[in-house]
Parts: sequence; structure tokens; C-alpha cells
Amino acid sequence: MAPPWELRRRGLKDSLRHDQRVKEAIRKNLRELIAEEAIITSDGQKRVRIPLRYLEQYRFKYGQPQEGVGQGPGQPGDLLGRQDGDGNGPGDGLAGDQPGELTYEVEVPLDELTRMMLEDLALPWLEEKPERQVTTITHRHTDVRRRGSLANLDKRRTLLANIKRNASRGVAEVGHLHDDDLRFKVWDEHEQKHANAAVYMLMDRSGSMTTSKKYVAKSFFFWMVRFLRLKYQHVETVFIAHDTEAQVVPEQDFFALSNSGGTRCSSAYQVALEHLQQQHPASRWNIYLFHFSDGDNLPHDNAVCKTLVQDLLGQCNMVGYGEIRYKDDASFYGWMGQTPYMISSLQHTLEEIQHPRLLSVTITHKDELYQVLQTFLQPQENAHV
Amino acid sequence: MFEARVAELEALAQQHGLDFFPTSFEVVPHDIMTEVAAYGLPTRARHWSYGKVYQSQRLYGTMGLSKIYEIVLNSNPCLAFLLDTNPEIANLLVAAHVFGHVDFFKNNLLFAPTNRNMINDAIAHALRIDGYIERYGLETVEHLMDIGFALDRHIDPHQGVIRQPYPQRQVVEKERSPQPYDDLFHTPSPSVTYEVVGEHIPPHPEHDLLWFLSTYARLESWQQDVLQIIREESYYFYPQFLTKILNEGWASYWHAELFHQYNGVSPEEMIEFARLHASVVNPGGRLSLNPYYLGYSILVDIEKRWDALHAAGESPLTGRQKLFEVRRTEDDISFLRNYLTLELMEKLGLFAYGRPCTHPPGQHCTQCEHIVITSREQEAVLAALLAPRYNYGVPRIVIRDVLNNTLYLEHLDRATTFLDRRFAAQTLSYIAELWKHPVYLLTGDESGREVSLTGRSD
Repeated sequence: MAPPWELRRRGLKDSLRHDQRVKEAIRKNLRELIAEEAIITSDGQKRVRIPLRYLEQYRFKYGQPQEGVGQGPGQPGDLLGRQDGDGNGPGDGLAGDQPGELTYEVEVPLDELTRMMLEDLALPWLEEKPERQVTTITHRHTDVRRRGSLANLDKRRTLLANIKRNASRGVAEVGHLHDDDLRFKVWDEHEQKHANAAVYMLMDRSGSMTTSKKYVAKSFFFWMVRFLRLKYQHVETVFIAHDTEAQVVPEQDFFALSNSGGTRCSSAYQVALEHLQQQHPASRWNIYLFHFSDGDNLPHDNAVCKTLVQDLLGQCNMVGYGEIRYKDDASFYGWMGQTPYMISSLQHTLEEIQHPRLLSVTITHKDELYQVLQTFLQPQENAHV
Repeated sequence: MFEARVAELEALAQQHGLDFFPTSFEVVPHDIMTEVAAYGLPTRARHWSYGKVYQSQRLYGTMGLSKIYEIVLNSNPCLAFLLDTNPEIANLLVAAHVFGHVDFFKNNLLFAPTNRNMINDAIAHALRIDGYIERYGLETVEHLMDIGFALDRHIDPHQGVIRQPYPQRQVVEKERSPQPYDDLFHTPSPSVTYEVVGEHIPPHPEHDLLWFLSTYARLESWQQDVLQIIREESYYFYPQFLTKILNEGWASYWHAELFHQYNGVSPEEMIEFARLHASVVNPGGRLSLNPYYLGYSILVDIEKRWDALHAAGESPLTGRQKLFEVRRTEDDISFLRNYLTLELMEKLGLFAYGRPCTHPPGQHCTQCEHIVITSREQEAVLAALLAPRYNYGVPRIVIRDVLNNTLYLEHLDRATTFLDRRFAAQTLSYIAELWKHPVYLLTGDESGREVSLTGRSD
């Protein structure tokens, strides 16, 4: 029996389906992917490689690495090589008789990944301001034509045209589709104007910001920058790093900072305040300020911070504060001359302000990053002016 | 020219006692070859996992990293695929090689129960599954196939593909054989006893998970059908899995043997043949042994040994006759156990490799990532060769009991091996999804302590 046509050449169909599943898998696992080290550290590269644990084909399999058989000279005990990485089974070049052990990576353009992750987010409370405009480009279907690419076929209108033509001959039904019935959607680029925006990114670089905490902060800013560049054509970014002193630093230095020194958060707020008053007056700019710290601030500085943040709120559309606090740090806050039972941090001080546009979050694990992005970049009432 | 020479090789093979199904060759382009190789059959039910294999194989092929020379299907009549870009001499070698394979399919005992009509049955399977996709949606059917493929190696070749359900619960009369001293108790002879059968499900530990679930889980008939399709195709591939070394060795032995006899090739072609043959039976890498080479070397060794025994009058069989016996009765496990001698092992320089550390697998030390030669002892090398071939390459999991709808599975070798936890947990929830009630698996952890894993249907 000769196979029917729809059964032939299925390889292409199934590999397209596989690609589709890869995309779904990425979408479903954004939460984990967003904190994936391989992506954050892929500085400057246009494409990122994502390990696809998510498309594994599960089955019962052995947990211990299998032994194998090789050949050639050598005594028992002679070193032949090393296993790579996780120690789950031999790496490349070693015989694997286990079923379905294709370890798999996909390459995705970074922009596409960012779009998938951040497409629903927007700068909140964006307001109309005079002078320079922030623009985004969207596509809109604006017209219907008789010629076009089949991908843009407007099925409903095509069917209606078909019924109409048949009705003119007395039978109002679908059938005898003719080239003249085809209708295509045509799109136009549509420029959407937003107000000017400047985003201030403040990061604590003091000694208490351990590598893993700094990683969380940097990841956040990494995605923040990606998001801004992708979604808005013209947004100004300002990077400020601080320990006891603060300074404005270029972007590439910001992401490569090492840490040392104590913490005086007010220094950063002071620098930001001065900078924005000079460069981005609130009368003409939408200003956003994000600050990440472990909250381990000099105790007497908290009051100063409170005043400065109140001043900043007067100028900014939104102030976001993220405090990275790992569980094992809890005892640490007792050190600051407070009673050990009362965990005191910058966050507590700031929360006293109680302003709707001061958003503050606590991060205890890098997996929470996506949630934090969602909290800070929740589109609000007058988001699209 | 090509067809005439294939016919000459075919006649030569028959003269030497090869006994094969009528074989037809299809010469196809590279991407068709890749596609058949990815699916394992020319037409098969669609599933994204084949697309994944197809994609990477096509890429490797286009980049010139790997080349599939031949695909031969176990069917009657037999269908074999050759690559259209190969030089004629390469395809002649492959044709001779194919006659060896088809003889093996036809005569090896493990293949006796296989479905020789699988090419057409798989087309019917594909059509049925396409119908299900249309009715129930791609994702639903795909997910069920994911579950089926997760369990497709857990079959029971001793029971066969076609099975009846376990006996219904009933009381059967059994004639009691006369015992000594019956006369003392005035027992009439012959007397009858009563026995209850079918009280327990399963009556014995059940290895065929796919059969059990498709028969006893509460599934719709299309779901049962999908699982049965996967199971049937798995039975078809099982003998090929278990005879990889012997089958490839046998085919390589025969393409070499036929070309030694065949005088229809030019000297230039003969040199090209020798180069190709050397690459087919190349030893492989330091850490990976080429199965073609291993099988071929053992067969050549057997022939030599039995020719010597025959000459000395110690064996009624000549070397060649012995080879035909081996191809009929052995699978890879018995083939290696019976014929991979210590002398040959030393000649081939085989060793077993693994981790040097002696602590339990759960812990870590500085040497954990090292790979060293662990042994050159015959038993150790054999064990390392056989382990991945045992039980279709998967851990032995059986269904032990059903109590209050709960399914109890048992991992049989839990004292000496352990499972990958993440994979086991996911697979258990697959089973629970079919069973629709909790599923437990008794297994062991890294240090051999018994643990029970659970799968729940959400």
C-alpha cells in the first residue's frame, strides 16, 4: 500500500512542531530563565544559548553514571578524561547506550527572548510632557486588498466575498472559491508617541552585597535596560553606584563593578536628586528611579534617606526599591545596635513614607526576579498617554 | 550496470548459504535517508520527538559530520535504502551488507515473532493517529504519546505482543493426582480440588507496563489504541536493539566475504572498497567501541577457532557452519558471554572504565569527575558491555499490586542500582495520569536504602 500524500515527508512538519514546542517551553519557563546565568553573562552577544531541560523526554533511567568499555593501552587506574559538569552521565565523546539522551540547547536571539519575557510590561504612570517625545512603533491592519501575501489572508472577508459572488448567481453558499474572492489584510507602521522618560538605576556596591546578591541586582538592571531599549526608542538611562560615596558611572562599568566599603544609601539618593534636577527636570521628564540594596544601611543614615526619598517622590513618576535579603542573613541585622528581634533595614524606614508611587519589594531568591519586574513595571491607569 | 552487479552479488550470497527475503533497493536523496533514519520506518505516526532527531541529523549530514550509508528494514519483502550521492562501489558494498542483515532478520530466532508487515502497519498506525489528532487535538494526542514513549521500553518479550487479559476471578476444579497413603484417609481416587484463579491483579509481577495500563487503566478506546500502537512498534524494534553487535558483525563479515569472492569490480574499485570496509569496521575511539568492529572481530575469531577444532577432529562443525549456528541462536548478551574470550579481549585491548572513587554515589570527592580504566578483568569488561543491553536498556520496573485502586510498582534491582529521581518522579506522574489514582514506586536511594516515590494525577 502506497502511503497517502499527507503521510509523506513528515520530518519537516515534526521539526516545525518541535521548534514550536521549544518556544512554548521558553515561555513557560520565563521565571527560571530570567535568572539564568548563561543569559545574563552573555554580554553583547546577539543570540543566547538556552539549555533545554524543559523539553526532556522523561522515562525511568539510571541515576548513576554507567560504566563503559574502551580500548587501547593503559593500566587500571590510568586517567582517561573528565566528565563534564553535573556528573549526570558521561559527557561528549563517551559512549552512551542510554535511550534518548540528547542533551539539547537552542539558540534564541536575545531581542526575541526579551520580547517574550517583557511584552506585557510598561513604565507605569507615564505622563504627557512637552518637548521631546518617546516613540514606539506598532503595526496595525489598516486596509483590505485583493492582492497580497497568503500569510495575510483575511479568511472571514474572503468567505463573505465568496458567498456574495455565489449569491449573485442565485446560490448563497460557500464554494467554488475563485481568485477574485481572496481578500488580504494590509498593515501600516504606526508611530505611537510617549512622553520623555529618564530611568535612574541605583545599585549598592558595598562589602555586604555578596556575589549572589549583586547578581540579583545586576540581573534586574540587565533586563531593565533590555526592556527599555526594546520597548521605547528614546529613554535616557543613568547608572549610579554607591557604597558610602556615590557616583554616576558608565553602563559597562556599572555591570562590572566589584564591591567594597560600607553602606550609606543617602549618598546615592543625593547624587540622583542633584543629577535629575540638572539634567531631567520633572517639568519635562518622566523620571523613574530603581534602587537595589541589601538594606544593610548605616543606622543613622536611614532618616536622611527617608527625607531624600520623599524629595525624590516629589520629582519622580515612581521610585522602586528592592531589598535583597537572603534567609541566612536574618541574624545580621541584629548587629546594627538594634534589638535582635527587631529586624531593621532601610526598607522598614522607607515603608513609613506610605506613598502610592513608592514600590518596595523584598527578594529572597533569584527566582523571584520575574515577579519583581512585574511589580515594578505594571502598566498603570494612564500608562499610554 | 549497478543493478546487474547487485544481482550478481545476490546470487553469490545465495551460493554461500545466505537465506534472505526478496530484497528491493531504493536509491534516495540525503534528506529522505535522514527522514527514514529519524523515524526508524519510512512512514510513522507523527510526533515532535522525531522532528528533533531529524533536525539534528539533517544538520550534521549537511555539515558533513555524519553520513547514513544504509537503512534496511526488517520486513518481507525487505526494503533497503541507499544514498544517491554515494559512489557505485559504496552502494555495492552496502548491498552486500544488506544481504547479511536480511539473512539475519529471517533466520535469527529472536526475530521469529516480529511483525514482517510493520512497514504497512505503521502506515495504518499513522493514519489512525492522524484521525485522533483531528478529533481530539494535537496537544492531547501528543501528550498521550509522550507518556507512551516514556514507557515504551517496559515491555515483556517473553509474553509477546498479543496477550489476553488475566483470567477472571473464578473457582476451577482440578484433578488431584493420587498421593501415597490416600487409602488411609479413604480418599477416593481420582479426587478433585478447588482452586481460585484470577483473584489478584496482577497475578504475577507485571513487566509489560504499557500492556497493563492500556488494558486495566480506565481509558477511552482511542487512548488504548495509541498506547497499543506505541507498544507494538516497540516490540518490533526490540530484537534489533538486542542484536546490534551480532547483526552488524554478521553483515560486515558478509560484505567482506562476498567481495573477496566477487570478480566484477575493477582494481580501482577494489581499493575504494578496502578503504570503505576499513572505515566500517574501524575500532572506534578510546572510550567508544564500534559495535561493527566488535561483532566482526568476534565472528572472525569464531571461524578461525572452529576451523582449528574441526581440523583436529574436536568439532563436527566447520568454522563457517559454526557461524551459521551463532547467527541463528544468539543475541548480543549470549554472543558476548559465549564468544568474547579473554584472549580476544586482550588482543583487542579492551578495558572497562568508570569513576575511580569508591564512596557511595551520592557523595562527592575531588576524583568524582575523573574517568579512569577500572579493570581489564574479563568479567568486569563483560559486565560493562552487557549492562546497557540488559532489559531494553532501562531499569526493571514491575507492577506488583493494586490495592484500593492504588498502583504499586517495584524497581527490581533497587539494591544495586538507583534511579534518576527527577525523571522517575515525572514518569510516575505520567503513569498516575493514565491510572487516575495514586501510584507508588518502591525503589532505593543512592546508598541502597529503600524509598517510596509517589506519582499523583492532578
